[in-house]
Amino acid sequence: MTDDIRLEEVRVRYPAARTPALDGVTLAVESGGRVGVAGRTGAGKSTLALLAAGFIPRVVRATVEGRATVGETDLVKAESKDLLGRVGIVFATPANQLSASKLTVREELAFGLENLAVPRSEMDGRIDAVLARLGISHLADREPFALSGGEQQRVAIASIVTMGTDVLVLDEPTAQLDPVGSEAIADLLAELAREGVAVLCAEHDPAVLRTMDRVAVLEGGRLTALDIPGRALGTAALPEGLEPPTLVRLAEAAGADPARAFDESFVAAALTAHRGPWPPESAAEPAERLAWTPVRERPGLAIELDDVRFSYPGGVEALRSVSLGIEPGETVAIVGQNGSGKTTLVKQLNGLLRPTNGRVLLGGRDSASEPISRIAELVGFVFQSPDDQLFERSVEREVSFGPRRMGLPAETLTRLVDQAIELAGLSGVRTTNPYDLDLSTRKLVGLASVLATDPSVVVLDEPTTGQDGPGVARVGRIVDALREAGKSVVAITHDMEFAAAHFGRIVVMRRGEVAADGPPSSVFGPANLELLASTGLRPPPAARVAAAMGRTTIPADAGELLRELARSR
Amino acid sequence: MPAATGYYVPGTSWLHRRNPVTKLLALAWVLVTAFLLPPWVLPILIVIVVLVAWSAGVLPNLVRAMRIPAALLLSILLVNAFLFPGATDRIVGIGPFGITREGLSFGLISAGRVLVAFLASVTFLLTTLADDLLEALIARGASHRIAFVVLSAVQMVPRLQARAGSILEAQQARGLAVTGSFVTRIRALVPLVGPVLLGSLIDVRERTFALEARGFGARPDRTAYRIVADTTVDRVARLVLLVGIVAVVVVAVLGILPG
Repeated sequence: MTDDIRLEEVRVRYPAARTPALDGVTLAVESGGRVGVAGRTGAGKSTLALLAAGFIPRVVRATVEGRATVGETDLVKAESKDLLGRVGIVFATPANQLSASKLTVREELAFGLENLAVPRSEMDGRIDAVLARLGISHLADREPFALSGGEQQRVAIASIVTMGTDVLVLDEPTAQLDPVGSEAIADLLAELAREGVAVLCAEHDPAVLRTMDRVAVLEGGRLTALDIPGRALGTAALPEGLEPPTLVRLAEAAGADPARAFDESFVAAALTAHRGPWPPESAAEPAERLAWTPVRERPGLAIELDDVRFSYPGGVEALRSVSLGIEPGETVAIVGQNGSGKTTLVKQLNGLLRPTNGRVLLGGRDSASEPISRIAELVGFVFQSPDDQLFERSVEREVSFGPRRMGLPAETLTRLVDQAIELAGLSGVRTTNPYDLDLSTRKLVGLASVLATDPSVVVLDEPTTGQDGPGVARVGRIVDALREAGKSVVAITHDMEFAAAHFGRIVVMRRGEVAADGPPSSVFGPANLELLASTGLRPPPAARVAAAMGRTTIPADAGELLRELARSR
Repeated sequence: MPAATGYYVPGTSWLHRRNPVTKLLALAWVLVTAFLLPPWVLPILIVIVVLVAWSAGVLPNLVRAMRIPAALLLSILLVNAFLFPGATDRIVGIGPFGITREGLSFGLISAGRVLVAFLASVTFLLTTLADDLLEALIARGASHRIAFVVLSAVQMVPRLQARAGSILEAQQARGLAVTGSFVTRIRALVPLVGPVLLGSLIDVRERTFALEARGFGARPDRTAYRIVADTTVDRVARLVLLVGIVAVVVVAVLGILPG
């Protein structure tokens, strides 16, 4: 394998766009090298990925200036047969990766091999090897569309890796994966690189970026930094608005060598040895707080799940006896491995799915007899994929759909819609068609459209996936605002830092059951490490560093740990 | 209904085991017969298709799937019965409207033909995996582009239904009532139309990405993982069906059969 990616002074402009999506980018990924790409949403990461994989301009129309090559092949002139078997690309969501016509995961993987004209007799061996590498051998004979989102994403990655390309481009491949799953992908990329593959990986997740040889930082289509991960993701290199990952922030606070910023025990030792000064509080704190003023007078709503079981048609048992009470005003993060039953669980809360056994009580009333539309007035549900949810032609109409349905007086309706749009930070795009917005903004539109109904309980299915740092921070501040307004918030998340920082209670799901339940300080405590690992989880990075320092506290993020340290010295 | 498999009902009946191209030819024969021959063949065709579906174990699915076209069939019948142009032979009158003999008979024939077409097509879809059809067409020398168009057409309705289902869920979760009176149900459908159509355009883009990323159509000599059976029975059946189709066309052109 000798293929590499070379971009020289590349400028990419989409038809009808005012500014170029990539502007003078020069970057090379050698055979056996791994380059990560970081940056805010809209900075050009996906464009870079599409270009390097030969999708621009062949599949996605755009004008390309400069030189872009894979091996000896000019990407601007390449036809699909020129790149076949040489370049693979993995996207963030399963929707645009699975062929949607295969009965089993095995056949889904075989599809790429068929197109490469791999002999039938070799296929099963290659498929089995990749499935085992990704730890999904048990899914081989399942139907791809019956899998959970995270499982589908693993299948999508496997189906590209099976093709054995020399160049592998990934665009946020781990957005839907649990923490251990993300690390497994990072390990796989390292192995592939050792075998000579050139890897280019756009990501937000530090767990993946930290393993790269170098990280390129994009801002407004320009390459602003290209360095080892510890420096490229540091305060000096990142564009305004992006915060360094927790470990880098801690390493910077201790004045430690950025080259080892992702080494937890090294950072812990550096913090222990550091005698101050600590970074000023203000620099570490997020921007202004957000607020939500309830417009409709309604009491809090207690939710009670009583021995809830659920099986999908076809017999997959997704919930096995879940009993759970959620008090009015509680904030609950639901965490756990892909396929552990998290989405199935939250869909019970508003009647999108009904228990096969057991009861769901809303405010003491059995929800079995209530239609979804009635429950919706009490329990708002924000879907994981905004595209399953958005259907109106402008953000404003989308957000007002719910309150209009509920027949609220015009004044109340206007106040709710304005407040929801402002809280989600969408004031600038009120009249825009949601489909013209990027994924992270579309997700905020989905959130605003549910907030506008002012429900007592807000359920969020993976609200932070596809969000960059500032996006995650915004969602966190919205959760805080809802809690202060007395609402209950139930959220599924794979982001342990987000869970620990904004939720009072963590529920750990494992194989359809509740494996642990309590405040972050107990769930992420030392007694639970093994249990967490058994369901694909680890405590947030700040808590891991604190543990390595021998501290007994469980800080949610870098800011909290640094404040603790500043106080105790 | 999973969009991946569409209407397909997994099974091992004699019909499931036939080569997709054989079934495609059989479908063609039924359609040609229904539309070219005199209307008295329609009841016979209906009986044949229903018997075939029953013997393949998909009759309950067929009946369920016919609920949607039922409205179309009824409207074909009614529109013709009442509004057949130039018809004079009234049977029943309701105010200014009346059912005419010509209209009723034309309506029955048209609805019967469409009914046969639906029954046969759905039976085909219920027993044929779209992917097998794709493989069989490519194996028979169809271009990738054409095979993909056929595949997309076969999957279009179930995919639209799946998308409509998820949007309906989202709307219900925001307080849209979809159960209740007939009017409520119809009104619930209106906000679905736009997003479903828009969604299907996005769907096409996503499919293109998925197929491109796997190199679909990049080289002509692709191999196949799934072996689509092609037995002697199939080859003989295809020959018979081809002869049958030609025979029907000849008979229709010569007008041999009594009307």
